[in-house]
Amino acid sequence: MTLTESGTRRRAGGVRALWAGNPLAVVQRGLVAARSSSWAVVLSGFFEPVFYLASMGIGLGSMIGLITLADGTKVEYAAFIAPALLAVSAMNGAIYDSTWNVFFKLNYGKLYEGMLSTSLGPLDVALGEIMYAMLRGLVYASGFLIIMQVAGLNLSWTAVLALPAVLLIAFGFASLGMAVTSYMKTFQHMDWINMVLLPMFLFSATLFPITNYPEWVQGIIQAFPLWHGVELIRGLTTGALHMGMLWHVVYYLVMIAVGLLFTTKRLRALFLD
Amino acid sequence: MSTDRSSATSRAQHPTLDELRAEAIRAARKPRAFGWFYVLEHMVRAMRAYGWTIVASALGQPLLYLFGLALGLAALISTPVDDGGVSVRYLVFVAPALIAAATIAVATEEMTYPVMSGFKWRLYFFGFSASPISSAQIATGVALAPASRMLAAAVPYYLIVWIFGGVETPATGWLAIGIGVLAGLAFGTPLMAYAASIEDDKGQFALVQRFIFMPMFLFSGTFYPLTNLEWWLAWIGWISPLWHASELGRMAMYGKPIGTGMMWIHIAYLVILAVGGYLMARRMFSRRLEK
Repeated sequence: MTLTESGTRRRAGGVRALWAGNPLAVVQRGLVAARSSSWAVVLSGFFEPVFYLASMGIGLGSMIGLITLADGTKVEYAAFIAPALLAVSAMNGAIYDSTWNVFFKLNYGKLYEGMLSTSLGPLDVALGEIMYAMLRGLVYASGFLIIMQVAGLNLSWTAVLALPAVLLIAFGFASLGMAVTSYMKTFQHMDWINMVLLPMFLFSATLFPITNYPEWVQGIIQAFPLWHGVELIRGLTTGALHMGMLWHVVYYLVMIAVGLLFTTKRLRALFLD
Repeated sequence: MSTDRSSATSRAQHPTLDELRAEAIRAARKPRAFGWFYVLEHMVRAMRAYGWTIVASALGQPLLYLFGLALGLAALISTPVDDGGVSVRYLVFVAPALIAAATIAVATEEMTYPVMSGFKWRLYFFGFSASPISSAQIATGVALAPASRMLAAAVPYYLIVWIFGGVETPATGWLAIGIGVLAGLAFGTPLMAYAASIEDDKGQFALVQRFIFMPMFLFSGTFYPLTNLEWWLAWIGWISPLWHASELGRMAMYGKPIGTGMMWIHIAYLVILAVGGYLMARRMFSRRLEK
């Protein structure tokens, strides 16, 4: 009697039903798995922004010269794109980890079913995966910031604050990416993610200021998250700070909250209800 | 007459071994002769599963890159690009390289996982191999299927560039389509040979993407003349099929002055890679299917 009762009872109520307070177990599992199989792939993610910086900074930089920032400061082209590449790599790393990786674990590895049959709840799993993605992002970002420092592209001491900013950006993309992934049914659906990422990368003031575009195009670009990340980090590494940057932080905080809410709800719908 | 009738009745009941063999040979003649075509047909039909993705990327990618680069980046590079003696607008300069980069991107997608999966997960190459189709023909068909998708990517790319006003010499410009397909195969067939040789998936293709495709895309003079780079970075361009194809494409699309000798070096390099890779892929397919 008691068995059927507890078996049919839906997990309802507050956070306690979704949360065992142990997301670190999921992070630990990710680290162990990376050590045994895919460390070379994990390491390779670091090189992507470095290649971009070398190619565009050296090759295009010689054709472009100085760029004027929003506050009137003039910086070298390499110093203009480097913070943007940092934001892009935070986005790409978080998206890769929270989409392709999660998709595979969800649909093929059946990893989460195992996790959720322990004391872990969907919020532990979601937060654990996101924390693991952020850890990777943090390692990449630290390496890239060192390269920027050596190349003389960090123009202000506030560049140190780019590290927490990268974490904020990665958190935002990872939590939203995981929520979106839970709706995906086939590998082909995953291609659509690239179709959102490519235009974001091309237009979000990454390789050139958005002031080259008409105002309505600028408005669309500013609605997308990458632009906020690029502006935030660019302000920090170039030292061109202003109060408006707080809006970028707020944007990401909202994105994180929405993403977490969605992901937890979806994992619960997929596995527990 | 009587012998005919008796053989007809005996065939209805018990066909002789010779008759069976003759029938099998008759049935196998066509697949034996055109085996590569049947494989190609299968591979292309299989692409319909993600047909919309193919269409969206074939149209979306050129529009995005041209809108992004031709309007955005070009505004920063105010002076025309000086490319080996001719001055051209930025759009005109990047377009030939972008067409070749698009076909090479198709190669990285279609000549990696689909090839490995045919051997490892879905095993359909072994299915083909159980029919009269030879392993060399399977390799040919598998190489030609991405080539057809490359064509489907290069043609709209060229047309969109043309509409944007990026083709200076339309008389020879269309050759960029063929150059693009050749470039895709020059990069793709060696990759296909490699994919056919992989027994265990340890993320090799992610490494190819990051350490071969990416550097090639970034350091092949795609976004600026290769001469902007010092020799210690420029060598990546010299060995990359993308640079050789871009140079040929620039010659075709806006008449970049390139000596005849150099032109033949570009062509020969691409052909050698494409054919050499194809021969290697054939060997890999035979080795693995006839084990």
